[in-house]
Amino acid sequence: MKYPTDHLRTRLACGTRLPAALLGLGLLGGCASFSPDGGLDKVSAITRERMAVAPAPLRTDQDAARVREEVKRLLAGPLDAESAVKIAVLNNRGLQADLAGLGIAEADVVQAGRLRNPTFTFARTSGGGEREYERAFLFDLMGLLTLSTRSDIEGRRFEVIQMRVANATLDLAQNTRQAFFSAVAAQEAAKYQEEAWIAAQAGAELARRMADVGNFSRLRQQREQLFHAESTAELARIRQHAARERERLTRLLGLSGKDRHFTLPERLPDLPAAPLSEKDLVQQAMDSRLDLSMARTEIEGLAKSLGLTRATRFVNVLEASYLNNDATGEPQKRGYEIEVSLPLFDWGQARAAKAEALYTQAMHRVAEMAVNAESEVRDAYGAYRTAHDLARHYQDEIVPLRKRIAEENLLRYNGMLIGVWDLLADARQQVAGVNAAIQARKDFWLAESNLQMALNGSGAASVGMITMSAPASAEAGGGH
Amino acid sequence: MDRRQFLSNAGAAVLGAGLVSKAGAASLPEAPILTDPATQPPLHPMDGRPYNPVVTLNGWTLPWRMKDGVKEFHLVAEPVVRELAPGMKAHLWGYNGSSPGPTIECVEGDRVRIFVTNRLPEHTSIHWHGVLLPNGMDGVGGLTQPQIKPGKTFVYEFEMTKSGTFMYHPHADEMVQMAMGMMGMLIVHPRDPEFMRVDRDFVFLLNAFDIEPGAATPKINTMLDFNLWCWNSRVFPAIDPLVVRQHDRVRVRAGNLTMTNHPLHVHGVDFEVTCTDGGWVKESARWPEVTTDVAVGQMRAIEFDARLAGDWAFHCHKSHHTMNAMGHDVPTMIGVDHRGVVEKIQRLTPDYMVMGERGMADMGEMEMPIPDNTLPMMTGWGQYGPIEMGGMFTVVKVREDQKPGDYSDPGWYPHPQGTVSWEWTGEPMAAERREGPAADAQTLKAVKPAGHHH
Ligand SMILES: [Cu+2]
Repeated sequence: MKYPTDHLRTRLACGTRLPAALLGLGLLGGCASFSPDGGLDKVSAITRERMAVAPAPLRTDQDAARVREEVKRLLAGPLDAESAVKIAVLNNRGLQADLAGLGIAEADVVQAGRLRNPTFTFARTSGGGEREYERAFLFDLMGLLTLSTRSDIEGRRFEVIQMRVANATLDLAQNTRQAFFSAVAAQEAAKYQEEAWIAAQAGAELARRMADVGNFSRLRQQREQLFHAESTAELARIRQHAARERERLTRLLGLSGKDRHFTLPERLPDLPAAPLSEKDLVQQAMDSRLDLSMARTEIEGLAKSLGLTRATRFVNVLEASYLNNDATGEPQKRGYEIEVSLPLFDWGQARAAKAEALYTQAMHRVAEMAVNAESEVRDAYGAYRTAHDLARHYQDEIVPLRKRIAEENLLRYNGMLIGVWDLLADARQQVAGVNAAIQARKDFWLAESNLQMALNGSGAASVGMITMSAPASAEAGGGH
Repeated sequence: MDRRQFLSNAGAAVLGAGLVSKAGAASLPEAPILTDPATQPPLHPMDGRPYNPVVTLNGWTLPWRMKDGVKEFHLVAEPVVRELAPGMKAHLWGYNGSSPGPTIECVEGDRVRIFVTNRLPEHTSIHWHGVLLPNGMDGVGGLTQPQIKPGKTFVYEFEMTKSGTFMYHPHADEMVQMAMGMMGMLIVHPRDPEFMRVDRDFVFLLNAFDIEPGAATPKINTMLDFNLWCWNSRVFPAIDPLVVRQHDRVRVRAGNLTMTNHPLHVHGVDFEVTCTDGGWVKESARWPEVTTDVAVGQMRAIEFDARLAGDWAFHCHKSHHTMNAMGHDVPTMIGVDHRGVVEKIQRLTPDYMVMGERGMADMGEMEMPIPDNTLPMMTGWGQYGPIEMGGMFTVVKVREDQKPGDYSDPGWYPHPQGTVSWEWTGEPMAAERREGPAADAQTLKAVKPAGHHH
């Protein structure tokens, strides 16, 4: 027998006196209230622990004006990764929607802490010349019985949602950093491609003049012309790529109109003096990964529920676990249902066993999560370290070598050992080398950002923003 | 004692005698070493039959010792470092510290015993190019003797039955060892010192290397596209001048161990070829020339009277052979307008400068940085400006007041007043620079191969 809370009504016999005890309970039930920060302080705290910025909700015109002002200030000079993240966290409307979701969740918490108002109904029916008056006083007895459990669960649920919003913020920050590095790299690559294109143009023009005075055959000239033509096509592609990367960043920054004319730095930031050491990274992840924190919070709740079920054997709040790790790709349904059964036929042994099994299952899931997180950190560190070493190799070895080769080639040109065409061909290769170095440095910054996510967030493979859909299986805290 | 200091620049002549007494008791003659590339004074014979010694251009003569009436020489085949010209050193293989090896001089009728020690990483042998001798002394590895293994010493002993100009070089892994610079001159003087006596007798080998600009070791697999054309492993401006006294009778002997012929051309004289591979040319068979082609593997001696004083060019007439390292794939830039293009190229190559737009003479004047250990393609300055030459080029300096036996460089020739070409300062012809022709469709279609008309 199930009695979903929102349907459960206890019909009390019509009576004129409301028992004082019930009244007292009613007052008690009304103690849950909205927090002054709307749950944001916790989100801010979690976020600030992991990066320099925290989200702030846009509720009023003043908020909007303040954000506009701050964004304007940040856009004044060339962006860097940190200012890009700041702008995104302040200005991204998707994140604002997530923050608003926090309000919804808090409302649920508050609601869960309150008893449904008692209802008085009066009915008069008449028929067959007879009149009947019915008076009823309805009181949410079930709500009263489950009040503390519900508050508890909603409180924890809210805590998890706070962590989710914090995680969404970290996700946004990561996406923004990655988009920023990609946009800068693409812009830098486009600039170098332009140099190569100019050299190809010079080559084509010189070849034309060579052919005009009879020093080049048409074949030789057309080869240079073809090179220039292909270089033009390549430049168009690379420029489009740069524009696309920039738009991706623009979207994450939530910018439109004039604001989209922001300035990117000329080049990617330098590599750090030394790469992070792998030592302690796993422990750091265990301590600060949000997905693990969430799972821990949830499993604490589960443990409490288990205790409750053991004690009473008649209350079950475990059915809808948060730790539903189903990988079906369907939206997760989260929520809970409280059911109170009357111990007439079933003394609850099976229920208690099931509760234990669910708890055990959840424990294993969390353990699995921890194992995965640990591996993810190692994986992300491996990628980070390789990307770092590669970028440094390009920076310290390949690019200087290319440069020295270019210098040597110029010496050979000076000595009339090679011609200007060899010089141009080499210059183009040099551009390709610089571009490869830019890509390597970009890869490093992307890997660095992934590593941060693996350490602090919910893993490198974390999917973008979470959706704050209302819990589906139950509407907590009683109906309407 | 450092054997590399054994022979000083000035002391070569004396050393011949010194060596005999020092190493007289040893079974193996001393092997003197010389690494200095300067022309050494002639080595006058201290014992044995008398002769008029030669002067080896940028080289020296190997001292000998007499033992039981036999002239004993000692050649050591070994890796050497040879300065091709200041600014470029080559890692070569040679003999007794230098490439080419020292000149061996002896006299018709001499019995010679030549010890050859191999300090190369591979086996070798020596062939006495042009000398008539017993077959087993011909030095063809595998054919007439086993090769000389590294660390071993072989002895060649034979009698010089005929005078003339000869060479020596390995006949074991010959392609590699000659490409690495192993060669030397062998002069057999006539028994009668008065026979065809000359006042100055110069000798050198024509040799060529392919050394990548910026490198030092020859590319041994190159067949024809050499980039350093040398006389005695030297290139202009580092080939010493042939200094003579006016009216001297001069002989110049050259042997060709490159893989192409060299038309040797002397300015200011007409000469006759007086000795070839086979021996002395009868007077009735000679004809006057100003250029003589020395084919591959040949020896030629030319003789002339230095009638006219001055600084006379002496060079191979293949114009690429009077250049140092150059790129043979460099397109011709003459007449190509570079306006507007240079700046674009400079965006990628900031130090780029236009060259060749007017020709290549810029190369002789501009002193632009070029790769390490690489010589400018055309170089060397005379009293009137850049000489714009490299490779097989030098100067015969004929001077009235040059002392007999004095080979020191007298400097540039002081031309008597009015004997140097001068600038016309009268009514000028309109002499603006003319543009080159543009190639129109007609230019490029003008010559069609026969048989392809339809
Ligand atoms: Cu030549």
